[in-house]
Amino acid sequence: MTHRADTPATVEALDRPDKVAATLARLRRMASWHIIAPPLVFFAILLVVGIANPAYLGPFGISIATTSAAPILLVALGQSMVLNTGSIDLSNAAIGLFGAILFALTIPEAGILAMIAVLVALTLIGAVNGVILAYTQVPSFALTLGTLGILQTAALVTSGSETIYVSENRDLVTALHTIKTLSVPLTFWIGVLAAIFFWALLRFTIVGQNMTAVGKNESGAILSAVPNRRAKIIAFAISGFASGLAGLAIVAQAGSASASGLGSNLLLPGIAAALVGGTSISGGQANPINVVFGALTVAFVPIAAQALGFGAQAQSLVYGVFIIVIVALTTSRSRGSVIK
Amino acid sequence: MKPDAPVVLKLTNVSRSFGKIRAVRSVSLEIRKGEVIGLTGENGAGKSTLLKILAGIERPDEGQMEINGKVANFKGPNDALKAGVGVVHQEQSLFTNLTVAENIEHQNINHQGLSRFGIHDWRRINREARKVLEKIGVDLDPRTRVGDLSFVDRQMVEIARAVSVNPDKSGTPLIILDEPTAVLEQAEVEVLEREIRKLREFASVIFVSHRLDEVLRICDRVVVMRHGELTSDRRTEGVTKDELFRAMVDETPAVATRSRAVPSKEGQAAIEVRDLTRHGRFRNVSFAVHPGEIVALVGTNGSGRGAIARALFGAETFDAGTIEVNGKAVSRWTIAKAVRAGLAYVPAERKVEGMIGGYPGTRNIALVHPEHARTGPFLRPRKMAQIAQEWFDRLGVSPNDIHQPLGQFSGGNQQKVVLAKWLNNPELKVLILDHPLRGLDIGVSQAVNREIRKACDKGTAVVLIPDTIEEALEMADEILVLKDGQVSARHDMRSAGELDVREIVSEMV
Repeated sequence: MTHRADTPATVEALDRPDKVAATLARLRRMASWHIIAPPLVFFAILLVVGIANPAYLGPFGISIATTSAAPILLVALGQSMVLNTGSIDLSNAAIGLFGAILFALTIPEAGILAMIAVLVALTLIGAVNGVILAYTQVPSFALTLGTLGILQTAALVTSGSETIYVSENRDLVTALHTIKTLSVPLTFWIGVLAAIFFWALLRFTIVGQNMTAVGKNESGAILSAVPNRRAKIIAFAISGFASGLAGLAIVAQAGSASASGLGSNLLLPGIAAALVGGTSISGGQANPINVVFGALTVAFVPIAAQALGFGAQAQSLVYGVFIIVIVALTTSRSRGSVIK
Repeated sequence: MKPDAPVVLKLTNVSRSFGKIRAVRSVSLEIRKGEVIGLTGENGAGKSTLLKILAGIERPDEGQMEINGKVANFKGPNDALKAGVGVVHQEQSLFTNLTVAENIEHQNINHQGLSRFGIHDWRRINREARKVLEKIGVDLDPRTRVGDLSFVDRQMVEIARAVSVNPDKSGTPLIILDEPTAVLEQAEVEVLEREIRKLREFASVIFVSHRLDEVLRICDRVVVMRHGELTSDRRTEGVTKDELFRAMVDETPAVATRSRAVPSKEGQAAIEVRDLTRHGRFRNVSFAVHPGEIVALVGTNGSGRGAIARALFGAETFDAGTIEVNGKAVSRWTIAKAVRAGLAYVPAERKVEGMIGGYPGTRNIALVHPEHARTGPFLRPRKMAQIAQEWFDRLGVSPNDIHQPLGQFSGGNQQKVVLAKWLNNPELKVLILDHPLRGLDIGVSQAVNREIRKACDKGTAVVLIPDTIEEALEMADEILVLKDGQVSARHDMRSAGELDVREIVSEMV
């Protein structure tokens, strides 16, 4: 690097007070609201439930909450990666459910091999979403609304509108649900691992940097030679893969899969969890580790409502109000007044 | 126009500053009913600020403005409209998915009973709009969707909208046309000229243009601005273009030129274009830039210089001709290929295109050439920070905080980082700069120019689109003057004798 040979050595010494100020500013940014809000909100809800009804926080309560949070977390992780590039994936829950049916159909025959093959196939479905988006420029909202419909039909057809039970190799898949560490099932831990992985991807890799750059300012990224199409395709492929893991979690929990059964209602909780986890819906802002807290919060809200004595009929109302309040609390407003 | 016609607009010592920059300095001006005034001046002379004051977008710091004899104290664009000041903007501001009538009557719909309880009385809206169109002599169906109209027709709708807001019965509307001809073809200009003659029957017009021929042909009086001041205010009869140039540009044509390294014209050009053409933008443009050479493309807005720069960088397509980089003709040229070949592009729209405002300096610099701070697919944060820190120190970026989002920096410091991100490449071959000094103060401008020269000394070829002609005279080895998408003149600064701004301006317009 010939360009930088002429930096005077004294600059560093002169700049020291400036450096201290810079470090302090950096610490302040790390502790900024949109980063600490998601865990804070989660622990606040935990505290409220703990005071109102401590029994919910026993091993059994934790097990129930994390079991229901696991598939939400997995779809939300994929969603936050897509939102981060400035798009949205409305088909992810449908990919997950379609995947659950494929798992239930193939695992009895082929075991682990089937799991891998189906995960690969679902990743490709996600990638196809990305390719169509990148090359036809159909808005992601419309495009994935379309693939959502296609995949729902695919789920109905492949399952013959019936519940598919995992007849053979059942323990192989239910183990993901029954093996628990600290009362938390393996499926949730898979989600936590995936969150750490995606977090590192965004933070420490060129691909991750490119994806966030596209979400923050696409025309700026394009003129900086960022491969914007590739970034979007990868984000959608990740969403497909994460939805596949969610499908696996569904089969693990139920031991079966059907087009209208467990997991057929993951789309909106998944988006809510991504948003509660501090993901910006206008792109360029995502922290997968906070999405873990987002998913836990979303899974915990119905439990909290119950613990606080709300009747069954009021559940949806409480859920709705909570989500609005929580997203209002956790949203980063540094991007100004542009709201999508 | 009668000399005793009533005064429509009267400005008395109007001033407006932005920080230290005095954009408009003590401007006094009178416009009478039926007059067409030409307003001209170089970029940055203060024309647009003056227009914004008239349109109620900016408020003057000092001075007084009277419209139709009443003191005008605009709090926003709506006040200006109510007083009868209508602006036809350079970039059109119509609602393209609404009809002609809706656009024209947009400001009136809620006030004049055209809409009751939010429900439009379409027959009345269309009738009122038709009246306005008839008044200005334009034959358009008020029910047409504006998006379906041609550019010049849309301009007519803008004019109609501007005149639709009448001041009170006795007042005269003031119509401001901000560079209306910049994007028009010859035939369309004639339509516009006819329209202006029609307008003067009941209104006064301010016509802003860089094209002096048009100004002299269309206007009764021409007003020239320079450095925020009015430097000339004369009737157009008997005025020559030369006199106008002298009022537009500084009296000191002897600009300090850089000591040129006299790069050789022989040998391999870093980038060479032959007969480059894009329909409607530029035609048969040919030039070569050798290592260490600076070639400036000068011309007015719409002369095609920006489009040429983007075509060189692969950001826009071209229809015919060739681009050769290091002697090899390119095909299916893209930004990715251009960057791999060692090209760099600093766009004019810094905030939108030049950088990622939400990213800090470290990542902005690592975005284009991550290869200097990577291990396989992984970024090396320490290395990224080290590189960014060295550039921040070298260019004196303030605040010296490589982790702060770039959007929070001032424009000048942002531009330093944008430059750093491209200079951070030892293989840099061609640096394309579109208005690199736009909005920068003197200090930062000098720092940026210093870095451009340093890159040249290391053998980088530079294509420069300057803000001012002085900038071109100061920096360039060769100046290409563009007019309406074609090269109208070339000046080799190494062999040319004294060249002054006026000569170049006359080749631009």
